[in-house]
Amino acid sequence: MPVFGPRIRHIVAAVILFAATVTSAADKPNGDWAFRPIKPPAVPTAPEKHKTWVRNPVDAFVLEKLLANGLTPSAEADRRTLARRLSVDLIGLPPTPEELDAFLKDTSNDAYERLVDKLLASPRYGERWARHWLDVAHYADSHGQDQDRFRPNAWPYRDYVIKSFNDDKPYARFVKEQIAGDVLWPLDPAAVVATGFLAAGPWDESGLRDINENALDRQVARALDRDDIVTTVMTSFAGLTAHCARCHDHKFDPIPTADYYALQAVFAGIEKAEREYDTDPTVAKKRAALQAKLVAVRGGKGDLLTAERLAEVATFEKARGGAKDRWTVMKPDAVKSRDGATLTPQADQSVVSGGKAPDRDVYTVTLTSELIGVTGIRVEVLTDDSLPHKGPGRQDNGNLHLSEVRVTAAPKGKPEQTVSVKLKSAAADFNQDGWGIARAIDGDPKTAWGIYPQVGKPHWAAFAFDKPVGFDAGTTFTVALDQLHGERHLIGRFRISITTGDPLAAEATLPVSVAEAFAVPAEKRTEAQKVTLARWVWEQRLDRELKALPSPAKVYCGTNRFAPDGSFKPSATPRPIHILKRGDVTKPGKEAKPGAVEAVEALPGRFTLKDANNEGVRRAALADWLTDDANPLTWRVIVNRVWHYHFGRGIVDTPNDLGTMGGTPSHPQLLDWLADDFRTNGGSLKKLHRLFLTSSTYRQAVTHDPTAEAKDADNRLLWRMNRTRLDAETVRDTVLLAAGRLDDTMYGPPVKHFLTKPGIHVTPESDYDAFDVNAADARRRSIYRFVFRTKPDPFLAGLDCPDASASAPVRSVSVGAPQALAMWNNKFVLANAEHLAALAEKASKAEAERVRFAAKRVLLRLPTADEETAWTAYAKKHGLANLCRVLFNSSEFTFAD
Amino acid sequence: MSPSRRHFLATSFGGLALSHLLAHADTAKPDPKLNGGLHHKAKAKRVVQIFLNGGMSQMDTFDYKPELIKQNGKVVDIGLKATATGTPGPAMKSPFAWKQHGQCGRWVTDVFPHLAGHVDDMAFLMALASKSSVHGPAAYLQTTGFITPGFPAAGAWVGYALGRLADDLPAFVVLPDPRGLPYNGNGNFSPGFLPAQHAGTVINPAAASPIPDLAPPKDAKFVTPTASDDGLDLLQKMNRKYAADRPGDSRMSARVESYELAAKMQLAAPEVFDLSKESKETHAAYGTDRKGADGGFARNCLLARRMLAKGVRFVQVWSGAGGPKDNWDNHGSIPKELPPIARQVDQPVAALLADLKRTGLADDTLVIFTTEFGRMPVTQNGDGRDHNGGTSVTWLAGAGVKGGTAHGESDDLSHLAATDKTDVYDLYATALHLLGIDHTKLTVLHNGIDRRLTDVHGHVVNAVLA
Repeated sequence: MPVFGPRIRHIVAAVILFAATVTSAADKPNGDWAFRPIKPPAVPTAPEKHKTWVRNPVDAFVLEKLLANGLTPSAEADRRTLARRLSVDLIGLPPTPEELDAFLKDTSNDAYERLVDKLLASPRYGERWARHWLDVAHYADSHGQDQDRFRPNAWPYRDYVIKSFNDDKPYARFVKEQIAGDVLWPLDPAAVVATGFLAAGPWDESGLRDINENALDRQVARALDRDDIVTTVMTSFAGLTAHCARCHDHKFDPIPTADYYALQAVFAGIEKAEREYDTDPTVAKKRAALQAKLVAVRGGKGDLLTAERLAEVATFEKARGGAKDRWTVMKPDAVKSRDGATLTPQADQSVVSGGKAPDRDVYTVTLTSELIGVTGIRVEVLTDDSLPHKGPGRQDNGNLHLSEVRVTAAPKGKPEQTVSVKLKSAAADFNQDGWGIARAIDGDPKTAWGIYPQVGKPHWAAFAFDKPVGFDAGTTFTVALDQLHGERHLIGRFRISITTGDPLAAEATLPVSVAEAFAVPAEKRTEAQKVTLARWVWEQRLDRELKALPSPAKVYCGTNRFAPDGSFKPSATPRPIHILKRGDVTKPGKEAKPGAVEAVEALPGRFTLKDANNEGVRRAALADWLTDDANPLTWRVIVNRVWHYHFGRGIVDTPNDLGTMGGTPSHPQLLDWLADDFRTNGGSLKKLHRLFLTSSTYRQAVTHDPTAEAKDADNRLLWRMNRTRLDAETVRDTVLLAAGRLDDTMYGPPVKHFLTKPGIHVTPESDYDAFDVNAADARRRSIYRFVFRTKPDPFLAGLDCPDASASAPVRSVSVGAPQALAMWNNKFVLANAEHLAALAEKASKAEAERVRFAAKRVLLRLPTADEETAWTAYAKKHGLANLCRVLFNSSEFTFAD
Repeated sequence: MSPSRRHFLATSFGGLALSHLLAHADTAKPDPKLNGGLHHKAKAKRVVQIFLNGGMSQMDTFDYKPELIKQNGKVVDIGLKATATGTPGPAMKSPFAWKQHGQCGRWVTDVFPHLAGHVDDMAFLMALASKSSVHGPAAYLQTTGFITPGFPAAGAWVGYALGRLADDLPAFVVLPDPRGLPYNGNGNFSPGFLPAQHAGTVINPAAASPIPDLAPPKDAKFVTPTASDDGLDLLQKMNRKYAADRPGDSRMSARVESYELAAKMQLAAPEVFDLSKESKETHAAYGTDRKGADGGFARNCLLARRMLAKGVRFVQVWSGAGGPKDNWDNHGSIPKELPPIARQVDQPVAALLADLKRTGLADDTLVIFTTEFGRMPVTQNGDGRDHNGGTSVTWLAGAGVKGGTAHGESDDLSHLAATDKTDVYDLYATALHLLGIDHTKLTVLHNGIDRRLTDVHGHVVNAVLA
């Protein structure tokens, strides 16, 4: 075991000399080759001697290069190897022993091709290839960063990807949907969900929501968040490292800083957030129509005083039965702060709290009314520009905590006759999670009402007296608002009203203007009052109709249609993006206009938009730019990406980077032929797979040939097939399959492979050890597991499963002690070794037969005679489960030839 | 060398296979003159990093500012309308008593009575700035050199560059605060785009298996010690044959070796974790019998020393879990919140310094005491302080470090770095330098960029080197 390290450049350089021999100067492209138009080359003609080897154009191009470098293809792999290779490659699972036997017995000429087709038609195919795509998108079910909150509605996007692969969605449509599906096909639920791609990456909750919105770090966080989106879009679809141009012009590729900020401008109107959508397109259509009407009514468009609407007003008024339920806003006689806040009465009878902000406080308000039979009071908490986030609270985050409300009443001028008024029930327009309004009348000063995260808007709480109160000569009420939570969770502005009606009736909370209009007899109402009422009842009706529609589903995606969460708010129009000097938010240069990369000469680098203030058209323009036939990048990138997964290495071995710093294409002509063929034939990924998999190139054995290695040690020219290690999910899924435990239920919310409880802060605690690996939901395919960004699954992480913090176009393949320990001792492997043993024991009574059974399920072959003797002896001594453990740990299981 | 080739070596096979490849090349023998270094002679072979989660208040610990004392209670213009989580209140002097210590006369407040006794062994970076005043990005920056997630931790880079010192323990281990993981969870110890084996191994000393999967779970009753031993023999026979049938693929032999290494680790680890081997005096010096997380942190420091002695390259010991309290994020009240968390680290880290000297490990071990950012000279309208990426204090000690020195100064109020400002890039450039690595040459091509621990920045801070 060498204990010194590997990073010595000049030594590595010595090993590299082979590389020079495999690409001749003639076809070595310049650094910016990827920006040039795709020119499909003619398919080479193979020499007579090799004609039979060439099954399709892939082979023709590969063969030409091999022969030119003095190499020849390897023999075809045996059929068992081919079946396993193909199956793992396409569906992420090996064949079962029965499926393998059926294939081996099928002697027809097209048995292999039919196996390809069968696997492509399997729903397991979408699950396998979605995993690759989610690696690129760096999808997870939590935000990441220091406040790694769960995203309960990220998974519809994961399901969208699976379905898209299974349906063989044309690639251009797949690209467009993920960038601007909500704009281009707003009524198609799949297209809306597709924009989950834009939000798949991490999100900095503290930087984007919780810190002071005026702090410089908020701007930095926004710039970095957009950077994640730009980086993901451009590396995934265009294979460009445009993000390298954030601080300076790209050092190697023709991408100036201006291009980078043009791309930021494309995404300047969206955030990563949860939006609602209708899973049923008919409902989506209805909802859109109702919402359009609501907008029109609110905007005062059209004639509001139609007969229908006036009738609606009359009906409402009749049902309302008079004006007795109105609130009367009270002018305070006096206000007092216990701990030194300055309380200033306003013209609208409200009171603003300013000056010193004590940790805790009690505001005491006295007010006098002539009303008899007062049934309750209402406390409105209002916004004010002087308050953080406009309030209504004084806490830095705009929140408040009302611990208790205490009310007393006395005959006017006779304070010695004060009696306390019992509050029997309460209601509020909004309750913070865990801080409901009932807590303000529970007599416990430690509990309180709060309104977070709905800060920046007014709220109200109403309290019903246990019996009506009122003295003949007038009543002086004293209302004490206890705010004892601490940390300045104080009310920033409030107003008190009383009522003689039902204080908790929803109708008791009519907007002031509406209540006033109703107070006037119908015949005496002004035109303006009539309009107010017509608009209001119509809004109510549209609102009811909207509420009657099936509840919308939610998806976490890139959108500007989301409910504000504290100071994290949608922006009505795109935020202005400036070209930042050295990427520094404090050094803005001129404003960037939405666009893409100007070096793609066939297409305009800046977008001409009809309405640049509509953020959606910006994204739609980028989607068009990317999927234009004349864009050479998109088509090269995707065929290369698919090639990478099949052959273990891309024609360009940096699938996210076709720029100068990316790999040199091993077969540039083939790449262009493939890109052109794919582009012009409908962008079918399934056709592309079929082309690759049915080639002779793909069917080669993994041979060892020192002579060929001397010429091409890395096998860049594919004189043999590459051996692959099963990736993390394939190992897990295959163990489940071998143990007869795999549950192939598709779709739905993710399965947590850990137990969870609230953490110290936002990020929940997770315990992977405590999870029961024998539980029913522990048997689903790994694509359906919950990806927790900062607490990755240790078993899968040990097998190089990326943690979704950044795009992973190529997975690293490590071999090390932590991995050996995980495969050898992890309870998942051990539990499934027992399950497999139990299956084998059910299948036969003879130990040797059981050993053969287990070997067929894990290795897809029977043991040799020597192996059978050794393995049976071991199983007899230690039990079959221990042998299954050994088999799961074998290199033969872990690798595919 | 072509970039693609480097990329392939770096990411497709992983470090182990690559080190194999190099081991078989004649030129790959380490140059004894480099003392384990890659590019020049190494002064340090291992690193222990104490990380204070939440942002240590520099002006309440090491950054003495008479002007701040003068301005106490006054409204000062620091040029900000808003701090990270609040609005700036008046200036606040440290509520703790200042005193000069050691030959070097370094100012330390009385929250660090034990550490104050070691200032002559410490070299201070007195004006280390951050690009962020938010925990997540700032912690990533300080642990990986990048403000966004997805990059390898410093320990992962060091393990990747230098490999293991011992073949029975991981190269990079992490000891979180006994109360839980820091902000960013495992993201701070991630291998990023390096192969998974370079991830920080998170040690939980309280667990039945302090290293994950070191032993089979107790309820897997069918796994007996002899079944494991015989099973491993059987497995290795099988894997050796499989490797022999596939010549030219170094991953196959690496796999055989990985199981040998795992077996060695199973033997070595319990010995390392057994603190009962240490004398009563040692336990007393660290304060391992203190209550709760104080005792846990002390035991982690002692364990760190044992692991360093056994050949772990990079040990990261965390003080404070992520969250609103019980860490260094003292928004609420400096006088109430800082002393208890300072007490957690004071005695054990001082004991660790002494112990490294006593055992001779200080000769080739670098100690780094750091945090994600500093705090504000003004209050948040109470007696707490908000985040401040403008300046902070880090100190180094041990191998190759010039004790009793300080480099850099913050402004009069300790708000921003003023002279000889340093960044985390400089800190890691210096640490790598001591390990015999030129930080500009330790690169991996990832997504089109030659990535470094120090991004495109960093200068070795010669002023703090012996």
